[in-house]
Amino acid sequence: MGERIGGFGRALFAPITVLYLLFLLAPISFFLLMSVFRYSPMELYEPALTGENFARLLGEDYYRAIIFRTLKIAGLTALFSLLLGYPLAYFLARTRSIWRGVLMFLVIAPLMTGVIVRTYGWIVLLGAQGTVNTTLIWLGLVDRPVKILETELAVLIALVHILMPYMVFPLFSSLTGQDPNVEKAAATLGAGRWRTFFEVTLPLSRSGILMGSALVFTLTAGAVVTPALLGGQNVQMLGQTIYDLVLSTLNWPFASAVASILVLCQFSIIFLYFRGGRRRAG
Amino acid sequence: MPAERTAGSPATAGIGPTGRPLPFASAAAGRYALGALVTAIYVFLLAPVVIIIFTSFNPTEANTFPPSGFSLRWYAKFLDSGGFVDAFKFSLWLGAIAAVGATVIGFLSAYGIVRFLGRRREAGQSLALLPIMIPHILISISLLLALTIVPFPELGGLIVGHIIICLPFTIAGIIASLEGVDAQLELAARTLGASRLRTLWEVVIPLIAPGLLSALIFAFIVSFGDVYIALFLSGPGRTTLPIEIFSYMQWESTPVVAAITTVQILLIIVLGLVVERLVGLRKLMRV
Repeated sequence: MGERIGGFGRALFAPITVLYLLFLLAPISFFLLMSVFRYSPMELYEPALTGENFARLLGEDYYRAIIFRTLKIAGLTALFSLLLGYPLAYFLARTRSIWRGVLMFLVIAPLMTGVIVRTYGWIVLLGAQGTVNTTLIWLGLVDRPVKILETELAVLIALVHILMPYMVFPLFSSLTGQDPNVEKAAATLGAGRWRTFFEVTLPLSRSGILMGSALVFTLTAGAVVTPALLGGQNVQMLGQTIYDLVLSTLNWPFASAVASILVLCQFSIIFLYFRGGRRRAG
Repeated sequence: MPAERTAGSPATAGIGPTGRPLPFASAAAGRYALGALVTAIYVFLLAPVVIIIFTSFNPTEANTFPPSGFSLRWYAKFLDSGGFVDAFKFSLWLGAIAAVGATVIGFLSAYGIVRFLGRRREAGQSLALLPIMIPHILISISLLLALTIVPFPELGGLIVGHIIICLPFTIAGIIASLEGVDAQLELAARTLGASRLRTLWEVVIPLIAPGLLSALIFAFIVSFGDVYIALFLSGPGRTTLPIEIFSYMQWESTPVVAAITTVQILLIIVLGLVVERLVGLRKLMRV
């Protein structure tokens, strides 16, 4: 249905429009625009157009390494979230267990506790006297605690844990949206379980895979807190770099250039994923 | 056909149609393998949360597991520390305000999207959910930047930021609830002479009350767990709990953090269960 938008309809949309325009789109546009302004130690920026922020960001090895590391960790996080999230989503979508509601809740529950809580959990688990090291020593696999904190591995493990639910939900939707008769038909025509899965179920869940991966990738690329606490100075990523530039160095134009690169990476990934999705579908 | 049909039936699923054994000797083994894998994934998902709860009752300084005894000393330390208690109270206050703001604005927007946009509904819905697609760190920095230019209280910036990140969830949840409301009822109320506002107040809102309450609670949960918006907009007198914990953990991590986060986990789980009972969490997560 849908009536003509009259005065009442406009009034309904007024608050959200004002909120998004004034406090979301305008400030973000202005912040990203600053990337082409010159840095000034006295003011926020000097109103002179320059390409020096981007030149420095893409020219210095230090920053190039940060960009590369961010892309690498974001890609790996998306990959491992998919590898772990797919069996989980598949199970939840196909199970007839009476516990399904509870199991679904257990996927959402960690998400609700917030980033800090889960990051702290991994500090406890991965520390020198943490559960993982204690177990490794008890099993006799190592004789001294292994250094896991302040490595890329720690950041990766925690990010996969924190962001995996965002992979599970789109996968779950696309798996429950499939017509169950299609799988049955494949079995009837003689395909085995594996072949049915790889040639029918998996291709049909493509949209969920693309959506989940894009979501996890962009969320990882913007992460600040988890890399800062679990990786320390050893695992500097784009998010932390922006944080330091704004709060310590107060170099807004350069921070803006870093943020622009971040946004560019995210949107190109989203664009690639969706173009890939449409090509196969069409 | 009948012969082929039996080839794929569960009874003979262990042998492929060509007589080759399948990767799993039987369908049952395949199910057990998936079951074991899923169990392992759940352990991975829940371990960090469970370990925090155990650690919070640990009598010693070290984050050891299994715990060496039972003690409430970290809870006592939490209640003694002014900083954490103040931050906890501030987060409760901020969460309540952001939740009310996001639910009211979310309700108006969701109603507009469902009843007034017609064929443009998809586009309207995507626009309303925009804050999910934008990295929260970017929203936060930009608000800080805006505040340095426009004279606007920084506390206001924090509240606005939280309302913005909660809105996608309240809108998605309320749209799902509104879809269950028959538009004929509203038409009937208006034919009988009720104004638009009265129809909203006396017909629509009572019908979707559980959905509104869920949106309110879920928005509170999102606000309470947020760290990115508060990262740039916190300050003296307006430090949220996650930021207080973040600053503390950059220097040390004693189990006092475990005690605080355990309280937080229990609060969130209870609220989450209420939402689950009311409308189902999945509606708010759009799955």
